[in-house]
Amino acid sequence: MFKYLFAKAEDIPAGSAAVYFGYSSIIWFVIGTGLGSFNAAKLAFPDFVTGSEILSFGHMRQVHVLAVILGWISMAFAMAMMYITPALGNTKLWSEKLGVWNCFIWNIGLSLGLFLLWLGVSSGREYSDMPFFIDVVVILGVLTPLCVNVFMTIKTRRTQGIYTTNWFFGAATFMVIIVFSVGNSPEFFQLTGLTEAYLTWWFAHNVLGLWITPVAAAISYYVVPKVTGNPLYSHRIGHLHFWSVVVFYSTPAAHHLMSAPLPEWLKSFASVEGVLILVPAIAFVSNLLLTMTGKWRMFVENIEIKFTITGVLMAIPLNMQGGFQQTRAINWYIHGTGWIVAHAHLALLGFSTFLEAAAVYYGLQTLLRRKLYSLGLANFHFWMLLVGFTTYWVSMTIAGLIQGAGKIYEVPYIDVVIAEHPYMIARWVGGTMVFLGNCVWLYNMYKTARVGTAIPAGRLPHELAYER
Amino acid sequence: MAFREYKIGARMFGLAFGTSMFITLYMPAVDIQDVSATSIAMDRQLSFGRVGGFSYEDPFLQGWAKPITVQITQDPKTGAAIESTRAFVYEKDVPFPNGIRHPRILGKLPAAASESKGRINEASEAQGAVFIVREEVENGELVPFIENATATRGWTPEATLAKAADSQRLLVGKGKIMFVREGCWWCHTLLPEQTQDWQYFGAPPMLGDFNGESPTAFGSDRKAPDLTHVGSRNSSREWMMMHFFNPRLVQSHSIMPRYDYLWGEKDANGNTIDYDGWRAEYTAYTNGESVYPPEVPVPAADSEARALIDFVLNLK
Amino acid sequence: MAWKFDNPLYTLSSDDQNEAAKKVWEGESLGGITEDNNRLPVPVIGLLILTIITAFLVTFPLWGQRPNAAIYEEYIALMDSPAVQGKSDKEAMEYIVNKVKSEGSKWAPLQERHPVEMDDLRLIKDAIIELKRQNADLREYTVLGNKLVLANFEGNWITDPNTGKIRRERVQPWWDKGYTIDIFFIVVFCVSVVIAVKRLPPYDWEPTHHGH
Repeated sequence: MFKYLFAKAEDIPAGSAAVYFGYSSIIWFVIGTGLGSFNAAKLAFPDFVTGSEILSFGHMRQVHVLAVILGWISMAFAMAMMYITPALGNTKLWSEKLGVWNCFIWNIGLSLGLFLLWLGVSSGREYSDMPFFIDVVVILGVLTPLCVNVFMTIKTRRTQGIYTTNWFFGAATFMVIIVFSVGNSPEFFQLTGLTEAYLTWWFAHNVLGLWITPVAAAISYYVVPKVTGNPLYSHRIGHLHFWSVVVFYSTPAAHHLMSAPLPEWLKSFASVEGVLILVPAIAFVSNLLLTMTGKWRMFVENIEIKFTITGVLMAIPLNMQGGFQQTRAINWYIHGTGWIVAHAHLALLGFSTFLEAAAVYYGLQTLLRRKLYSLGLANFHFWMLLVGFTTYWVSMTIAGLIQGAGKIYEVPYIDVVIAEHPYMIARWVGGTMVFLGNCVWLYNMYKTARVGTAIPAGRLPHELAYER
Repeated sequence: MAFREYKIGARMFGLAFGTSMFITLYMPAVDIQDVSATSIAMDRQLSFGRVGGFSYEDPFLQGWAKPITVQITQDPKTGAAIESTRAFVYEKDVPFPNGIRHPRILGKLPAAASESKGRINEASEAQGAVFIVREEVENGELVPFIENATATRGWTPEATLAKAADSQRLLVGKGKIMFVREGCWWCHTLLPEQTQDWQYFGAPPMLGDFNGESPTAFGSDRKAPDLTHVGSRNSSREWMMMHFFNPRLVQSHSIMPRYDYLWGEKDANGNTIDYDGWRAEYTAYTNGESVYPPEVPVPAADSEARALIDFVLNLK
Repeated sequence: MAWKFDNPLYTLSSDDQNEAAKKVWEGESLGGITEDNNRLPVPVIGLLILTIITAFLVTFPLWGQRPNAAIYEEYIALMDSPAVQGKSDKEAMEYIVNKVKSEGSKWAPLQERHPVEMDDLRLIKDAIIELKRQNADLREYTVLGNKLVLANFEGNWITDPNTGKIRRERVQPWWDKGYTIDIFFIVVFCVSVVIAVKRLPPYDWEPTHHGH
């Protein structure tokens, strides 16, 4: 990677940036889930590794969250953008060099930010906890170059049309810059009080709603038609999906503060809009599942489709929860409990991770022109992720319902802690399975790059038989 | 917009996204900015200082350049006995909170009263200042305001600190930094819920209780009790000390981490704390080999543990 | 841009425009991917309408409400009535509850959800009578054991009948400008998306993709 930073643009092979982003994202995924597993162990066994400031739960929790969001998920997005955007325009990435630099600055900036966060250098706001100079690095060094590269690649396309995936890529890379700039403004401009609290959650909501959800969906708009060979079921539903993301996903930020003393009109507005996130969800799920018509055996046989469709199916419970749990009718029961933790993992580890994993599997094989090293290990990875995540989700949902009941009936808190303990252990087991699965994935992708079977020109990776 | 009319689509996108931003950013901002600060908000920001997280004056969150909250019973200038008063001492170069720097954020009436009666615009960071929170009735309405006691009563920071023994000082500002740095708010919320928490965790806050405070650190994932009013439920410094050193000493089922490392190297008597020895004795106790757990060392006056305990006890 | 309004739910574009669009649509493969022109399935349209209606219904403040002082006002009024004199607490309470129920109270659901005993009523009786004397709005006060506390909801702006000042109502409103903006948003969204989609070639035409 380093040799390309100062190489001439024409000496950099096409796809280099995407490959670097792909491997970076897998490494960050291993780190992020490893931290998650370690944190979960501390919640289950409080005296596990104790008495050290740097290894205490309060110093590591936010590192896990941001390593997964900005390391794994966002880098996998960047990887997908760097190979899907040009592929859909029958062209090359606008600037491979900018892409390589982007990946370099991203890794350096994120490492520095997480290192400081680990030391405790925090702004004290969830999801936007990095100190402001790291936010500036993220906005100017990470998100803006990505946005420029994606936009210029779309602009220099050699097709007349822009496929749905690229609408989302273009819009999301632009919106996420606005979201980061506005969401971190309390620190830039020293905003205080409920304005600060509201902007914190405005950021947290929109970074999920305008970045993670639409980009993950856009990836599957590419992977499913590409791998199955079916046309996308409907261009029209694509419109419904895209426009409803922009309109309904950008508005319900206040529903994260339903129990805070915000003006009630803001909560009414946010709560109704929050249920309407089901509109893009319904459009997305129906469009993708109908695209699968006639090719459902690939759900079993093909690893990319297996990951993608599992992710698409997880969008159903995800949005049913997300839509309804924030309303006045339900939020009072589950607000601030493990239910929400389970929901957040359903969004990031369930829905979105499965879609991105498919893109990384498919993209690395295409770009390296090498068939996946081992289908067996890939299937092992899939099942470790699915079973581990499900264990996590079920246990945290139950723990959340216990906490909710404890809250409503105002039982002494320690009784809730005792009742939750078995589920805390189950959560740790689930999280550890995900971590181990990812270690296997890293090994599998390493071997793919080294000894994977070469893919002949003109063939697609999924058309070749597996050798192991 | 027809098939592949991207220019019109881009404009529609701008319009849709812009409308969303207008409704979710501009409208609530206008609504919240008119809110008058309550005396609680003034007390909070004066005791916490300018920022509770990363800042220029305290980049590594060590609790540098934070105000000290004192309870005094003697007038610092004259030495005469006065009613017990809570004062916020800003020594030289300690940044003022936002209500002093930008009185506008306190709301119309409190800002006007703080400037006319409280003379807060005369306070200077270079010289330090002492503030108190007061309430007076104006036109039949109780208006809280901040008083710059250095200007109105001649209380200098040095003289005020001289009248407050260590036991009358609360290092709340430094404690809030510890609260944020150590991630207490990942499990303990600071926001009793509007509809559910009144009896067990106390009254939820009002809209005006936060003006000037940053970060509010409400927390989102309640794995442990809400702490907004914890000082009213439990005011025992001894209990807090044991609980922070090893929560299992006072609550055997607690899953809270140990914060013994906040004690630093020496205890209140200047003796070096023997952590390994303490843990060995504690293990013997949990194994049933000894009847009593080892004594918890008293934290030194300038230790981080003391500041955090002050912060928690101050949450009333 | 040519528009055609004779059959707006079929297509809004002129025939030339649709023919041109069909040609481009069929002729091009975007990185090996093609798109079909299927309509949104009818059951899904039903689901979307259901979603919009449900969104409003679940946002109204229906569940999870703490008892406010107003729901016990009728109980308190009956506490000293001749009919309950000489009865034991249990009988008296039963009488009061039945009486209020039979006369029909607008607070019936909340009364059922937050039952009280005579001792509870005695604790809050004086406070409620005092608030009524001050002409306060009882709905704004939350009942906490023996205390009535002003709720912290930031509701609609009202003119306080006692002081004449404009202030926020301390209740969760059934309607406020949030809902109004929602309706505006949904209407504009639906109209815009329908226009965008109906400007495409009608859905009874499917591209053949020429074997891409």
